[in-house]
Amino acid sequence: MIAITLNSWPQTVPPSLVNDPLLWVLRDHFGLIGTKYGCGIGACGACTVHVDGEARRSCVTTAREVAGRRIVTIEGLAQSGALHPVQQSWIAESVPQCGYCQAGQIMQAAALLARNPHPSDAELTRVMDEVLCRCGTQARVRRAIRRASALLSRAPAGSLQEAGRDALAP
Amino acid sequence: MTLSRRKLLKACGWSAAGLTVAAYTGTPARAGILPVLPPRSRPGSREASAWVSLRPDGLVQILSPRQEMGQGVSTAFRQIVAEELGVPLDRVLLILPRTDLLPVTPSTVGSDSMAEYSPLLARAAATLRETLRSRAAKRAGVAASSVEEAAGGFRLPNGERVGFAALAQTSGRVVTAADALPGMVLRSMSGPEHPRRIVGRSVPTDRIEAIVGGGEVLYAGDVTRPGLVEASLVRPPQLGASLRGFDDRPARLVPGFIAALPLATGVAVVAETRGAVERAVAALDARWSVPDQPVTQKAVDAAIDIDKHLLAGSLEHSVLRQGRLGSGQAPWDVDLRVDVPMAAHAGIEPRCAVAEFRTNGSPRLEVWTGTQDAFYVRAVLADALGLSEADVVVHSMRLGGSFGGRTICTVELEAAQLARQIGRPVKVRWSRPDEFQHGFHRPPSSHRIRGRLDAEGRILDWWHAFASGHVIFTSAAMPPLLQTVTSLVADPGVGRGANLPYAVRRAARVEFADVRLPVATGPWRGLGAGPNVFAIEVAIDTLARRAGLDPLAFRLNNLDASQARLRRVLERVAERAGWAGRPRAGQRRYGLACGVYKETAYAAVVAEVSVGRVGSAPRVTRLWCAHDSGLVINPDQVRAQVEGNLVWGLGMALGEELQVRDGRIGTDYFTDYALPRFSDVPAMTIDLVQGGEAPSRAGETAIVAAAAAIANALAGDRAEAVRRLPLHGQRGAG
Repeated sequence: MIAITLNSWPQTVPPSLVNDPLLWVLRDHFGLIGTKYGCGIGACGACTVHVDGEARRSCVTTAREVAGRRIVTIEGLAQSGALHPVQQSWIAESVPQCGYCQAGQIMQAAALLARNPHPSDAELTRVMDEVLCRCGTQARVRRAIRRASALLSRAPAGSLQEAGRDALAP
Repeated sequence: MTLSRRKLLKACGWSAAGLTVAAYTGTPARAGILPVLPPRSRPGSREASAWVSLRPDGLVQILSPRQEMGQGVSTAFRQIVAEELGVPLDRVLLILPRTDLLPVTPSTVGSDSMAEYSPLLARAAATLRETLRSRAAKRAGVAASSVEEAAGGFRLPNGERVGFAALAQTSGRVVTAADALPGMVLRSMSGPEHPRRIVGRSVPTDRIEAIVGGGEVLYAGDVTRPGLVEASLVRPPQLGASLRGFDDRPARLVPGFIAALPLATGVAVVAETRGAVERAVAALDARWSVPDQPVTQKAVDAAIDIDKHLLAGSLEHSVLRQGRLGSGQAPWDVDLRVDVPMAAHAGIEPRCAVAEFRTNGSPRLEVWTGTQDAFYVRAVLADALGLSEADVVVHSMRLGGSFGGRTICTVELEAAQLARQIGRPVKVRWSRPDEFQHGFHRPPSSHRIRGRLDAEGRILDWWHAFASGHVIFTSAAMPPLLQTVTSLVADPGVGRGANLPYAVRRAARVEFADVRLPVATGPWRGLGAGPNVFAIEVAIDTLARRAGLDPLAFRLNNLDASQARLRRVLERVAERAGWAGRPRAGQRRYGLACGVYKETAYAAVVAEVSVGRVGSAPRVTRLWCAHDSGLVINPDQVRAQVEGNLVWGLGMALGEELQVRDGRIGTDYFTDYALPRFSDVPAMTIDLVQGGEAPSRAGETAIVAAAAAIANALAGDRAEAVRRLPLHGQRGAG
């Protein structure tokens, strides 16, 4: 049995699942189905979640490896019933087509902006190159991140650290 | 045998294949020997009347005949219905194809939703509106003509308002449209004399809150059922391999293991959790017979080598024959060989299905899956499991990308068979390697194009011969007997887009051979139109250089009045991209191409390509596209489709290629497949032409021009054209 903080709630992972990929523990045990399976080797980014604020590929991370850590999934990104600025920007730019990779894109972008709210083009490109989209939404992803960056510069400092506080317990 | 151009263009998808095959063999498709190819006709107003209804709670419900896979059909359908009924968009719900609710409908292919379904849907919604008006009039005892529309309902002559909800409650059941009324104006489809509220406006894609928020059941993998178990298959390690036997004793030691069961496609491993499935799969020892002569890339290349086919005589299928390409003429001005490799769909969602088999009472199978063809899946499942179609319910879940790759029945049959054998609901997931190894792919094709010019730089003679693996008659869904039968018939998917839009002064021949390859090939975005128009547009640019004419001027010079819409997109993209001042050589150079999709949609693209130092790969740094798909229901969603097509064209041009290696597909993961990445996608400028024509199609249009524009930019001002895709590894002369 290991303890984790999942979308701001204390949770435990049963012993039978501690060596399973975090992706399946999140989806099939906790019912957090927003995180998607795309490749199983961490090469597409569809399964991206935050571990202590950093973007991680949950398909190649076991539950044991995140014992005691803070995990935020796409379901935990909104706060106080308000979507995260990245999510808001995703809607404003109408980014998704099929939508399947989008939770991973959003989590990757949110982690980037939490670390650096105003990334250079080079940094933004380097970070977002790690997440694949087959529909061809990349140009909109870029616009949405720039929009979120502008929204964040108006948001009170430190609010990102509270991400997931009000997400429903799974 | 040959198929006329008209027949070729009419023949479309499985329904055509089914009819054709039945005609050739005299055997009904359900005789047990042949697979199920449901001969489904296109829906008419009778079917459409079931698509729209008013629910007892006053909400309008669409039973969508078309599947959502990111192309935005669910958004556009809701806009059309909201427009016709005069209700806000959020009062219109949409249910993806469910076989127990919807009349039988063809597969979601061919970018047909707006062109062929939206007018029917608009008429059904308008008919429902008039049915409700009559009901309101009858209830108040007034003439229907005196009942005026008001927001969310009607206004009676005495000023009283009657809401839709009240009208729905009168009967206490769902209200559907009666037969279509003649002479009814469709406000969603009419010209500017009928101002529209919702159609023509950009609204975000349907379900966007659920997509960006997570936590909602949208895709097949999100579905869960009480008692659900998980499964994967251990599949043949090589093309043509077959199962000799397996030892599941090590797998049995895995906690949570339930069973290992042989199926036609491999050994299924069933366990309580996904983690247990993965451990049991790793532990299972399966033994395979592999062919003595493994499939090789060389054999695939040789099978479609167009020059070998031409040496053997004329090709089996003719698309166009005009005049006579006589011998003893002047030498060809252009004699070009173009090769396009095999490519993957590579949707980010690997396929997945959940099946639940109930035996209390009469047997009943329910399946949740992301499919482009719920009714085909139902027919295959009913046939394979010996059930009546009424006892099989297929729920279409949103597709995480499909692009032609989800048109057959695969994972659904595996899940259904396991659910029956295990006696619990089963979720089967394909892995990423399963997708590359056991899906089907865009066939490789090989083209020989020859052309002659007259003194004015007009096309005098044109000869395009090509050979390709199959598209519609895919071996991924057809057993050997049917493959043999269909070898007599032109594969309509292979020929798509091969018809030349340019006028030819003297003689033209367009012909092809469709070849049964030892790799599974099938429909891929645009079918043959991607490779065919690519080859044509590369050859056209080469002819232009030979004539010493600007590529734009050459194209305009060779289009006659019947191609006014193609001419218009060419002129508009040239204007937007500042084509006249753009260099054709040097480190930053520009290329142009255009094309027509299914005779109804038009695109022209200008690409800016940067060619760096010796040995460095070319980069596409900007794209412009002018696009004409007729009346636009949702401009932002059409733009999104154009963007997607441009990115697909970029991937097709620069990096995408599957090869056979070691007797198998040489790619298991995205690490070995060059999908366009974030850094590859340039700024895109899209100009939507709206000239008042009927809505046509946007889902596969711009791809026909994008790859060729990039290749033409790379070729620059050299006589030598790009000869094969993908371009990476090839460098333009600086």
